[in-house]
Amino acid sequence: MPKDEPACRWETARLRSFMLHIVTFLSLFGASPASGSDAWCSDGPPYYAFELYTTRNIPGTGLARGTVDVSASGASPFAVDLGPDGSYVYDLRIALERMKPPRQGRLVAWVTTPEIDQVARMGVLDENLRSSGTVSWNKFIVVITLEPDDDPSSEMWTGPIVFRGMSRSGMMHTMVGHGALQQENCAAYGYGN
Amino acid sequence: MNGWQVLLCASILMVTSPCGLLAQHDMHEGHGTMTMEGGWRMVPMDPNMPMLPGLEDAVPVVGPFVPGMGMDPAMLPEARPSEVVALADMDTLDVSVSMVRRTIAGHEMVMFGYNGQYPGPLIQAEKDATVVVRVTNDIQMPTTIHWHGVRLDNRFDGVPGVTQEAIERGESFTYEVHVPDAGMYWYHPHVREDVQQDLGLFGNLLVTSPDPEYYGPAHREEVFVLDDMLIDDQGALPWGDRAPTHALMGRFGNVMMVNGETDYRLSAKRGEVVRFYLTNVANSRTFNVTFGGAKVKIVASDVSRFEREQWVGSVVIAPAERYVVDVRFDEPGDVVIANTIQAINHFRGEFYPHVDTLSLVTVTEELASESITSAFDTLREHEEVVADIESFRPWFGKAVDYELETTVRVQDLPQSIVLSMEADTLYVPPMEWNDAMPMMNWLSTAEQVTWILRDRATGAENDEIDWRFEVGDVVKVRVYNTPDSFHPMNHPIHVHGQRFLVLSMDGVENENLVWKDTAIVPVGSTMEMLIEMSNPGEWMVHCHIAEHLHAGMMFSFTVEEPAP
Repeated sequence: MPKDEPACRWETARLRSFMLHIVTFLSLFGASPASGSDAWCSDGPPYYAFELYTTRNIPGTGLARGTVDVSASGASPFAVDLGPDGSYVYDLRIALERMKPPRQGRLVAWVTTPEIDQVARMGVLDENLRSSGTVSWNKFIVVITLEPDDDPSSEMWTGPIVFRGMSRSGMMHTMVGHGALQQENCAAYGYGN
Repeated sequence: MNGWQVLLCASILMVTSPCGLLAQHDMHEGHGTMTMEGGWRMVPMDPNMPMLPGLEDAVPVVGPFVPGMGMDPAMLPEARPSEVVALADMDTLDVSVSMVRRTIAGHEMVMFGYNGQYPGPLIQAEKDATVVVRVTNDIQMPTTIHWHGVRLDNRFDGVPGVTQEAIERGESFTYEVHVPDAGMYWYHPHVREDVQQDLGLFGNLLVTSPDPEYYGPAHREEVFVLDDMLIDDQGALPWGDRAPTHALMGRFGNVMMVNGETDYRLSAKRGEVVRFYLTNVANSRTFNVTFGGAKVKIVASDVSRFEREQWVGSVVIAPAERYVVDVRFDEPGDVVIANTIQAINHFRGEFYPHVDTLSLVTVTEELASESITSAFDTLREHEEVVADIESFRPWFGKAVDYELETTVRVQDLPQSIVLSMEADTLYVPPMEWNDAMPMMNWLSTAEQVTWILRDRATGAENDEIDWRFEVGDVVKVRVYNTPDSFHPMNHPIHVHGQRFLVLSMDGVENENLVWKDTAIVPVGSTMEMLIEMSNPGEWMVHCHIAEHLHAGMMFSFTVEEPAP
């Protein structure tokens, strides 16, 4: 992969090449491939993309992994998309791999604040284990849970957490407690906002 | 804020954030103003921000500069607000660049002005006119005038060493400014912008269209020149003499201004539609302009109208950008026009909401005329713009011609700054809305910091880059703002003398195009721009954060007439 090339663009190019071969092969037998796979691959800045980590709470997810692509909405006329209070508004694209959809229940994506005092339901993951949505918090956690059913009105998860991952901005912690610049007792501050 | 208040505020800060807002507003009192080595004064700081160990007495490696040092401001004429100058084709305007007396936030200061005005005269000209501007320099620094965004004759672009020699004190230069595109432009020096522009050398150039329906109906128009200034309790903090200070992040001000005033007020009738021409002339600050919940429609930007008008919640405007927005004030009462941001406190590792009032609009009960009020609800499509851009669509899918990468290199910075920056690399925000490290930023000068535009194909950096085109070329340039550098930051990239479209950001296609001359590239982002090489000459590309420009972040390219 070329140095600093946005990862997803590279993946898209490889995927397109691969799909071309598949199309050629299938056309020999009068079949057509499933469509839209690469539509999920965002070219969002790789720097702000983050990983989802399995909790191994359900069978078959021990080696599973996930990613969240983060990008500004193309609907904004500006380079960044902001909410009413100036918070960033991001489009999120979630993809899980190395696992199969559960036989029972539905995998549901949620987004929450680091304090888990606010939770928003993004939606059910599709058969390709993908979902998308929007978030307008500067720091946030994406949570994938196994829910007994698909209830769009639910405000909080009830099932076990299967994956979780924190936005890149979550790495920005207070430096007073653990950094090279320690000047105050870390107990003074928490990990807020 | 006295010592007890600081203590109280620090205590409250452990529980809640709003006190930090108070501190921001009072940050010019911060750690206390004290005179330091070489005549420097400590940079204003939020009193809640800890000072870096070992830097308590540090000063920039360059000397301090203030205009009219030792001069009694009372000896100078008091600057007056901008006046409108309507010029017909080939009319001449004499512009004197001189020292003036200004009072900002209670401080009487020596500043600069065009014709003794702040901002400079608002020049109005009709599309396709040529206006003649005879500039005489009466300040102690060489200067020029750059006609930002105007696709004019290269000889009059105002870049010293490229298109002209700088105008020395007592000398004159005559600019012939041909204006082929309707819209709001601006003019400013291209010599030490970090100083001259900050001291008041800027003005607008409004190019009007012969089409009376070029914009939709509005009850009236207002020009809003957005600016900030870094002031402590003795006045403006000195600038660097032989090179800019604040080279890492640019010089953020702590006093906000609209049209050079800190208390800019308007009144409007209920239902009145006001067209705002916004220009950001700040050295470094990107504003997020909110209109207190009033309905806002974005209409145009730098060099054209958008393909379609669009509702927006706020206007993100980087240094040098312009936006035209129509705003309807539906409810009586006071409406605050504000800079509404999520600032960052690196030491606490948090975002916090921060609001600066830019202007107050008092909306009266009296109703504005109904026809315009209701026409505002319609979003217009600008067919002329769509057709113009459509003619460039065949190039949208072309391969990228050039790739630029933005990065930074530092040398000889104080060790504690280097250690601090290296320790704080886990997260960099897409945009720096505030100066979250005022002391480190102040101490970094353009002699220690080199901002870089790098051609990724050749490795050439800044003035080593040598791009050559012919008139008629349509060039796709990809700009990648790498997060893997000593201090990544957003950059407003400005292309002189041409116009461009931002086709996509991070692979997300732009759904509503507009011709630009300046566009922001957030940290970590990749912007693809399509530049129409329509104007022959040698033209600059640079970051429009004034301190980044003077820390090297620029190059020029050549557009030649096609061979016969």
